[in-house]
Amino acid sequence: MEEVDNILIHALKQVGTEVSEETGSIKQFTSELIVEAVVRCIRVIDPGLGSALPTFLPPGMSARFRVGMSLAQACQDIGYKGEIGYQTFLYSNEPEIRSLLMFLVEKLPRESAEASDQPTGKSVVLQKAIAAAIRAQLAVPWLPPNCRLPLHGETQSPGAQHNFHVQPLSLPHCTKGPGKKQLKGGQGSLIYMLEDYQRDVLPPVTAQPSHQASVVASILEQHTAELSAAQEWDNEWNTQGLLSRLTPQEYRSRKLARLRKRIEEQLRSAALPCPESAFGGPRSASDLSELLQAFRGSAPSDHILTKGTHFTHTQKFTFTQVRTAPRAQHKHAAPPILSGHQSESDMQLRQQEEQASLQQQFQQLSALPCLLSCVHGGCVWVQVLDELKQRELGNSEKEEKMQVKKKTIDLLPDADDNLPKLQAVVEASAKRVVHLASQWEKHRAPLIDEHRRLKEICSNQDLESSRKLSEIKSLHDKIRVSTEEAKKKEEIYKQLVTELENLPQDVSRSAYTQRILEIVSNIKKQKEEITKILSDTKELQKEINSLTGKLDRTFAVTDELVFKDAKKDESVRKSYKYLAALHENCNQLIQTIEDTGTILREIRDLEEQIETENSSKTVANLERILDDYKAIRQENSALAAKVREG
Amino acid sequence: MELSESVQRGLRSLAEPSTFDQSSYGVLVDVSFRSLLSAKAEPGVLDQPELKQIDQILLKQSHTAATTFILEAVKHNADKSAISSCLEELAFSAERIEIFYSTHQKHKKELERLLASIGRCPPRINDASWRLQYHVKNDQVDKVNEPFYLISLNTENEGSEEDINFTCTVEQLQDLVGKLKDAAKSVEKASQM
Repeated sequence: MEEVDNILIHALKQVGTEVSEETGSIKQFTSELIVEAVVRCIRVIDPGLGSALPTFLPPGMSARFRVGMSLAQACQDIGYKGEIGYQTFLYSNEPEIRSLLMFLVEKLPRESAEASDQPTGKSVVLQKAIAAAIRAQLAVPWLPPNCRLPLHGETQSPGAQHNFHVQPLSLPHCTKGPGKKQLKGGQGSLIYMLEDYQRDVLPPVTAQPSHQASVVASILEQHTAELSAAQEWDNEWNTQGLLSRLTPQEYRSRKLARLRKRIEEQLRSAALPCPESAFGGPRSASDLSELLQAFRGSAPSDHILTKGTHFTHTQKFTFTQVRTAPRAQHKHAAPPILSGHQSESDMQLRQQEEQASLQQQFQQLSALPCLLSCVHGGCVWVQVLDELKQRELGNSEKEEKMQVKKKTIDLLPDADDNLPKLQAVVEASAKRVVHLASQWEKHRAPLIDEHRRLKEICSNQDLESSRKLSEIKSLHDKIRVSTEEAKKKEEIYKQLVTELENLPQDVSRSAYTQRILEIVSNIKKQKEEITKILSDTKELQKEINSLTGKLDRTFAVTDELVFKDAKKDESVRKSYKYLAALHENCNQLIQTIEDTGTILREIRDLEEQIETENSSKTVANLERILDDYKAIRQENSALAAKVREG
Repeated sequence: MELSESVQRGLRSLAEPSTFDQSSYGVLVDVSFRSLLSAKAEPGVLDQPELKQIDQILLKQSHTAATTFILEAVKHNADKSAISSCLEELAFSAERIEIFYSTHQKHKKELERLLASIGRCPPRINDASWRLQYHVKNDQVDKVNEPFYLISLNTENEGSEEDINFTCTVEQLQDLVGKLKDAAKSVEKASQM
């Protein structure tokens, strides 16, 4: 009982009732306390009902009566099904109060339902962390700058701020032995040079950017770029790559070729419509071919393409820059000679300025303006080549036709002889064709069968591989889903652990749950015992019934037997009388035993009733009722006297 | 905390006792932290005597991987369990994890300060002085009779102090105070989440 009372008192304290520390159980609640508790609960459950009720009992008796009635009405409105009236509040007894309070406390709305609906996820965790950090910062009091301690350093006096400035880093990478052997001579030496550079000259990553803050920014940026590139590749491979049924390297090389073709086309189409650009004319042809060669020739493995060509491209572009600079000078030298307006010094100044600006452009690592100009010049050259090829083809065709006509003209003078000769030749060649055709047919048939058979095998394998691909995909999906679930569950677990630590610790739920489990097991044991006792009782009852039945039967039989003999013999008559008396007395004994049993049961019931009546302190209540009755009568007479006077 | 392929490779080679024995491992960990925290770039930071026998390219890769891992750990404010689980997956032995974690704890505050110094921050207001003036008349209008405030905010930005002066009418000042109260309330709300 104490746990129930403790829970009730705790809940009432949470609602706002002022329960002093000494009241440990419901027995010690006074009427005022009961009224206050009930009214506060009602106010929480249903604010409309509760606002009309006062929290304390007024002193006047009739007012108290009225308050009691309205409270009882409110409780019934809320849904309390037990007997309730003004007497429950004014003349309380313990079991009724306990049941009423339990009902009300259960009706209190639960705040815990809202907390469990909070969504869990990374963003929520982050927001909670942000909120906690802001709270911590708000808790630190503001101090003027002269009084600041180092603990305020972060939030109240900022140090130097840097912008997020990223500089590209060159990272060393390993090329393993077998890779090197597959390379041709030129690339192999390039690899060796690259390795030597990385081994001896390349500074460590933290020394490459110019500023300490850029070190941090660049390293973080590099890492995030790698992570996102890996993720994108994974996505692409899982959606498109698996479908194309190529190995990753083949897929990558095919994609690379596709992209290169597109770049070339776009550059050509972009370069064509601008006939007059800054760098026209004689030079760029060789540059474009070298560039395209560089595109084509530098891709034996992916490694070199992604990292090495960065290096080779910068090499190329620095060299082309050196070459364009003198050519730019030449170009700019030409018009002044023709126009003849500018002076020599102006020209040189312009040249130098142009050179400086060009070098700047290239140093910014955008090689594209140079590339476009190269392509434009090279475009024209490629067109010329194409025309040349086409003309040569036309030429060769026309030569052949000419040869045939020449031969026929040679044969014409000797026409009569040559005609049958030609016919014979034609017939012979026709026969040869037929012979060859038949031979070909003989070869063709088995080859066609073979072709059909291989095609079937191929399609079967296609089916197999598509089925396996779908299996692989479903497995991938399952893996992904289960890893996501595992991660989510871990996060939820961490979140809940932190929440559990933050929860208030005043009410120990584990003690209650243990008691509840104990009580449940006790009840189970008692139920078993009760069933055992019931079965025992049934057994006993059955025995009693069978015994009484046997008794009756035996008595009936003996009775007849003895009665038959009793008519003749005197002693038998006496024994018959004794038998009847014995039977009578035994019956009485059994009867008294049964009566004793019933009377004992009644005693037990009456004792229980006495106990319950004792606990409901009726005597004290009756005395109070008598006193209140007397008080009401006095009030009535006082009011009547007032009415009579006024 | 996710790590990219190259970082994982570098860390794995760092974990192997055959490539990095105990002393060179400790030296590399120290060097990595120091190279991040030093104000000037030191190209010779990897020229330690214990690190000379190791292949330089491998050494530089491990150094890159170690610095990236340190920065990611500080960025995510990873606790001991997160760092240990990450390193365990990459086959680090328990004592190497211990060495790394103790050095990490030593330098954590400085690294956090370094990371926090990247960004922008408007100047902070330290003090405010005000003056209430009454505008009686000027050369164009004979009777103006308006009060106005002269406010001077003493701000501090990156250690240097600066004064922001402005004038405003009473309504504008009320508006400003109302906005400040709104800002304070929204910060309170953000901390209640």
